[in-house]
Amino acid sequence: MFNAEKPSLEELPSSAQLRRSTIIAGVAAVAILVTVVLPAEYGVDPTRVGRVLGLTEMGEIKTQLAQEAEMDRQMEAAGDDQSSLLNNILGVFVGTAHAQEQDVWQDVLTFTLAPDASADIKMVMAEGATADYAWFAEGGRINFDLHAHGGDQSITYERGRGETSGEGSIEAAFDGNHGWFWRNRDSAEITVTLQVSGDYNEIIEAY
Amino acid sequence: MSVSQALAHNVTPGDAGYIQEIWGVKLIPFAYLGAKHMVTGYDHILFLLGVVFFLYRMKDVAIYVSLFAIGHSVTMLAGVWFGWGVNAYIVDAIIGLSVVYKALDNLGAYQRWFGFQPDTKAATLIFGFFHGTGLATKILDYEIASEGLLPNLLAFNVGVEIGQIMALAVILIVMGYWRKSPAFFRQAYTANVAMMSMGFILVGYQITGYFVAS
Repeated sequence: MFNAEKPSLEELPSSAQLRRSTIIAGVAAVAILVTVVLPAEYGVDPTRVGRVLGLTEMGEIKTQLAQEAEMDRQMEAAGDDQSSLLNNILGVFVGTAHAQEQDVWQDVLTFTLAPDASADIKMVMAEGATADYAWFAEGGRINFDLHAHGGDQSITYERGRGETSGEGSIEAAFDGNHGWFWRNRDSAEITVTLQVSGDYNEIIEAY
Repeated sequence: MSVSQALAHNVTPGDAGYIQEIWGVKLIPFAYLGAKHMVTGYDHILFLLGVVFFLYRMKDVAIYVSLFAIGHSVTMLAGVWFGWGVNAYIVDAIIGLSVVYKALDNLGAYQRWFGFQPDTKAATLIFGFFHGTGLATKILDYEIASEGLLPNLLAFNVGVEIGQIMALAVILIVMGYWRKSPAFFRQAYTANVAMMSMGFILVGYQITGYFVAS
């Protein structure tokens, strides 16, 4: 009935063979768990093997991303009540330049990020407003996410990783905060210089 | 304006989030992710279990598992390289179907129903192609950086094979104990019926997902 021949008992592995295989599998599992899985999933690396293999970095990034996702979720749940207070603590308001020469950037921001550090720089813009930008990074290559939030809306304009410069313009898709989330995933300190001009009221920086 | 708007990062957590933040050649991390994908991919494991269910000679295990590996490597690499945008639900439904097919094959259903045995090696290879297409679709979702794509992809593929060997080692040890029990051939029938049922559940789950999510 089965699509198989019945094996004779001698063709099957012996009990001793099976026992040995089980022990080997168990020992291998513990070794792989400690040197590979724990570093890659949680950044837990008691043997330092994970660091050598490049897996601990993966675990650390994943742990950090999970914390940030949780922070984002909590902030959304907390609503807008405390937000103006927090903005005053976290936000650095950059003065808006008035009636400057057209070919000069309205604002120039420079910030330095250690490895794994991040920054958030947003322009407060009304729907349809435009802003031009140019930026360059020194000391390494940086990741960015050029996006916007406002009301219940959000949009990603552009994302990039391992870049050293960028330029372009943003046309605000809705009223809200439009700008960059930067993160240094390189191995050395990076200094980013960001130049912006356009129809925005203020710039909010958070690190 | 609120601070949540200023600070929300839109981060993707987990493996995909990690991949989206890195660039360049990272062989061991990608091999790890390939192995993890295989070991935690219950649909692949279920099919693999079906393939080796009645194979007890190491030579046969090696032939069939290699055919499966060749099949899924070809379509995985080609699929990512050429960016085949296959619908994940449809591919995963076919993978569920591969489990049903193999369970019926193990039960000898094709011989009973049609008086003929389809080539089991060819079936393993062909379903390997479908499993590889599914893998490719998931890798494309990861948005791997173009810098270092080919070496990272090859490392991922090596990881898939390592994961397959690890899963296979555990399956073969458990099957080794089970085959020695006198009740094995009686229980084998029920086990394959249960496997077929799980295959049908996978098919239904994916087809529903296709309509609900799109």
